[in-house]
Amino acid sequence: MIFDGKEEFVEALRRLVGEGVPPERIRVLTPFPLPEVDRILPRKRSNVRFFALIGAGTGTITGFALTILTTLSWPLIVGGKPIVSIPPFIIIAFALTILFGSLSTFLGFLLLSRLPSIRNIRSKEEYGNRFVILVEEGPTR
Amino acid sequence: MTDPEKYARADEDILKAMEKPGRAYLLGLGVTASLAVGGGLLWAYQIRNGLGVAGYTHPVNWAVYITNFVFWVGIAHSGTLISAVLYLFHARYRTSFNRPAEAMTVFALMVAGLFPLIHLGRSWVFYYLIPYPTERQLWVNFRSPLIWDVFAVGTYFTVSAVFFYVGMIPDLAIARRRREGIRKTIYAVLSLGWRGTGRQWRHYNMLYLFLASFATPLVASVHSVVSWDFAMSLLPGWHTTIFAPYFVAGAIFSGTAMVITLVVPMRKTFNLYRYITDDHFESIAKILLLTSLIVSYAYVIEFGLAWYSGNIFETELFRYRALGHYKVFFWIMVACNSIIPLTLFAMRLRRNIPYLLIVSLLVNVGMWLERFVIIVSSLSRDYDPYAWNALIYRPTYVEVGITLGAFGMFFMLYLLFVKTLPLLSISEIKEHL
Amino acid sequence: MKALLEKKGSLAVLLVIAAALLAFVAMSPLAGRGGSLLLALLFWGTVVEGCIAAAAAGTMVNARWVGSVKRELLSVRPLLLLLAFLLLLLIPFVDSYPWAGGPGLWLRKDFFIGRNLAFLLLAYVTAGRFAAAVEANGETKTVRAATYLFVFVTSQTLAAFDLVMSLEYPWYSTLFGGFFFIEALYAGFAVSAILCILVHGRPPRTDDPDARSSLSDISVLMFGFSLLWAGLFFAQYLTIWYGNIPEEVSFIAKRTSVSPFRELAVSVLFLLFFLPFPALLSTRAKSNPYVVTAVSLSILSGILVERYVFLAPAVRLNPGALAVDLICLLFLFVCVVYKESGGTPLDA
Repeated sequence: MIFDGKEEFVEALRRLVGEGVPPERIRVLTPFPLPEVDRILPRKRSNVRFFALIGAGTGTITGFALTILTTLSWPLIVGGKPIVSIPPFIIIAFALTILFGSLSTFLGFLLLSRLPSIRNIRSKEEYGNRFVILVEEGPTR
Repeated sequence: MTDPEKYARADEDILKAMEKPGRAYLLGLGVTASLAVGGGLLWAYQIRNGLGVAGYTHPVNWAVYITNFVFWVGIAHSGTLISAVLYLFHARYRTSFNRPAEAMTVFALMVAGLFPLIHLGRSWVFYYLIPYPTERQLWVNFRSPLIWDVFAVGTYFTVSAVFFYVGMIPDLAIARRRREGIRKTIYAVLSLGWRGTGRQWRHYNMLYLFLASFATPLVASVHSVVSWDFAMSLLPGWHTTIFAPYFVAGAIFSGTAMVITLVVPMRKTFNLYRYITDDHFESIAKILLLTSLIVSYAYVIEFGLAWYSGNIFETELFRYRALGHYKVFFWIMVACNSIIPLTLFAMRLRRNIPYLLIVSLLVNVGMWLERFVIIVSSLSRDYDPYAWNALIYRPTYVEVGITLGAFGMFFMLYLLFVKTLPLLSISEIKEHL
Repeated sequence: MKALLEKKGSLAVLLVIAAALLAFVAMSPLAGRGGSLLLALLFWGTVVEGCIAAAAAGTMVNARWVGSVKRELLSVRPLLLLLAFLLLLLIPFVDSYPWAGGPGLWLRKDFFIGRNLAFLLLAYVTAGRFAAAVEANGETKTVRAATYLFVFVTSQTLAAFDLVMSLEYPWYSTLFGGFFFIEALYAGFAVSAILCILVHGRPPRTDDPDARSSLSDISVLMFGFSLLWAGLFFAQYLTIWYGNIPEEVSFIAKRTSVSPFRELAVSVLFLLFFLPFPALLSTRAKSNPYVVTAVSLSILSGILVERYVFLAPAVRLNPGALAVDLICLLFLFVCVVYKESGGTPLDA
């Protein structure tokens, strides 16, 4: 089903779910994100957040490990600072937390949204500014 | 007008900017590109002849190049602020500025990243700064602020480039639909085959939220680290605790001014009045005013506490800053950063776009001079009175030329951006129509 | 209780009684040299000015959350008068500041008390004008909010530099003033969260992930400020640690090398950052009243402990007098807020 306007689309979607079509079988394509879609088709929250958490954690650990282990491997006092100087190392660990966290979130997004998709890059099919509902074959509830 | 027509018009209006360039555009591109090439040639000349061609006179061994580095990193800041922080605060007006601001961030960081290399005597060994295992088993010194810079600026560049790109994916899909031939293929590949399914949007929103939350503390940290290049030393005027927040506020201040400088002409050229309204400019002008006040607060505190402390070195440095060899720059800086922005308290002036453009240009000048004054005046008035008046640092034509080249490169990259990529966030604009 | 409070003039009577009690405690030999009074003044000054500043900042940016607690936040204004009175009680104590022997242009007794008093009173006046504009929902409310914020920033900066920093003269840190007013805002948000829970109860539970309640908005602010606080703390600490100049590190060394200050200094880090930050990390925790209350209390006690760590190595504090001062002010704080609460929420 293809709609030009947002309201008709939301209305049709609501009707479809009301008729008992299981939400897992409904796919929608929209030109911009609609909060209504999440309300009508409840899904669990995106797992991208776990990628963020794991990436950030890895970054922190890497930051401290890199700084502490490399200074210990060649212990040289510079500027009267202790070999393992935690305050400056916090800065490195912080930067790597953000770096790893962002990159892993981005990769998680690509993975979970099946991008890049060669098929869709080559596909000529475009819906433009229209709102689309696709229902897969299967029994209704 | 119905919604579908509005959507189509938004596509049309914004992608129209990407059509065949006019004569004025080509002229601008020519001028900026030749400035950039000129700067490059001067750098080559400097590499050939050594750093002596720059005006360094002991003890002033950090000068215009470091000023440029700090200035351009600062310019980058407001891009992330407008995109990420305003996103987290659900501020509507971010939509009109976020794409140009993010582009500005990426380009300003490209320019900024060059300056530490230009400033190096032997630019070709810059990779010594990167921690990698070598056969000498020697690692970089993580206790040095210069290494913190490598990590902070490197992370910032990567994250803001990702942020810029991610924000553009849905719009690249629109460009793919509306272009033909080879350009269609390029946009199709760049859009990664984005379709806008329910699932994609769900993950996309989560990704965007996380990138914004990561980028926000990152903004604050990057310019803090840049400020610590100075604050970690023991030089009067540099070694002070307020430097980190003061630099961050200054960075956002100058960056906001640069956004206004870029967006005002862009709105006029591409007739984007429907999407970037005077209300939006007024909100941005408020950010400009707020950060100007923070920067002025820091000026007052710096001078006040130098006097309070009774420390003779601090007192002398701040007397010198205001009344010494560089006093002209200092007073221009005060006028541009602290006094002229105060006029923005008047709502009529905030909404007067030509006036806002003039103020933002002056703020750019003032903030460049602020970094110059901080760097050069402190260095030329350190603990060794012998060096005080012996030789006065003056920038040479090489330094001035490379600075102009940097501006040329920045504006050239920006001009290329407006012709090749969607210059406003189309899908977000539709969301709020 | 409420009926009693609503009687005309009852609040004024209460304030006078409290003032008399505090004056008696300050004059009595038990109080030692007034360090306890200074701590009470600093802490409650931070909280009271912070509450009004949170309301003013929220008004300026048209934040949605602020409407639900604005009346309560603004009701703390009368306490500013009491705090101004406490400052007058401190006059004899000023003689124990290290610079009192050789006063200069800035650090001299009359000007010292005078400027701090002036800004406390100015804060009272501007807060009153702001509250009146809010009540009338007039156009001028953003202008008056901005005016109050100017006074607030100056007043907190002065409190930091004069009342605290000059105890360690000639030690100085340029960030100290900024640190204080950011902490005051942080405290203001913490109080807002508690008030929001007390006044409006738990936010309605929804399955809608995009629904935002006032409470979760305030939690987001507290979360952000915990990071901001950590950043400012780190900026200050790192500069002093790295510089390692004897006259600068002495301030930190005094507070981190002897027990109990060492333990207290570490606990400040936990109360203001290592607890609030992870606790508010998840979206669900941000609207959980128990988590948010715990975090808010942690923040407020963190600020109190931090003020103590700033003062204690330099002045003598009497625990009994301190307890009386703090409890008395807490009681008044609850009274003024309770009196105003329950009315119709003021819309932002």
